[in-house]
Amino acid sequence: MQYKSMIVCRCEEVSYDELVEVASANNCSARELKLRTRAGMGYCGGRTCRTMVDQIAHKHHPRPDCEISLKYQAPIRPVRFADLGEVK
Amino acid sequence: MTERIINHPVLGVLPSMEKVSFTFDDQEYEGYKGESLAAALLANGIRTLRVHEESGLPRGIYCNIGHCFECRVNVNGLEGERACITPVSDGIVVKSGTTLPTTVRDWRKNNGK
Repeated sequence: MQYKSMIVCRCEEVSYDELVEVASANNCSARELKLRTRAGMGYCGGRTCRTMVDQIAHKHHPRPDCEISLKYQAPIRPVRFADLGEVK
Repeated sequence: MTERIINHPVLGVLPSMEKVSFTFDDQEYEGYKGESLAAALLANGIRTLRVHEESGLPRGIYCNIGHCFECRVNVNGLEGERACITPVSDGIVVKSGTTLPTTVRDWRKNNGK
């Protein structure tokens, strides 16, 4: 991938242009935008870019009253498998 | 250690601290005991701590508070240690991240487009 514009999601390397392009082409919700581009689904779990992805989506698709912002997926921070259960 | 601020206009002269040596990608470096790994490497002029696993573009310090996991390195064989919150200590072996195979993407017809 080339440097297209400012990177929003650094873990999955999704640029601002890419997000705006997908959001305007599909007129999609924040969750759909996240699933289409993988922004916020990387190593850090979207802790850096979640609100930005949310904002970009809602610029193109006003948030309905019943919709909540992007959620925090468990585990909320990266955990080693060895920390979850000892490997013998 | 040329990048270090030894004389600060407000904070004054840097007090002398105990030096420790560690290796980063098979090269020996010196840092001060207790400072973060990211700071020690930055003082040695190293800004690229790893590369993006897929694209291979360089990554380094981003948030520097242990939040974004951009500076994760391999410390003594432990994967995913954050260089910004890991204190540097004598003899630790640090390795940077490399690109990983992306088999599913490589199979796709539009790979690289």
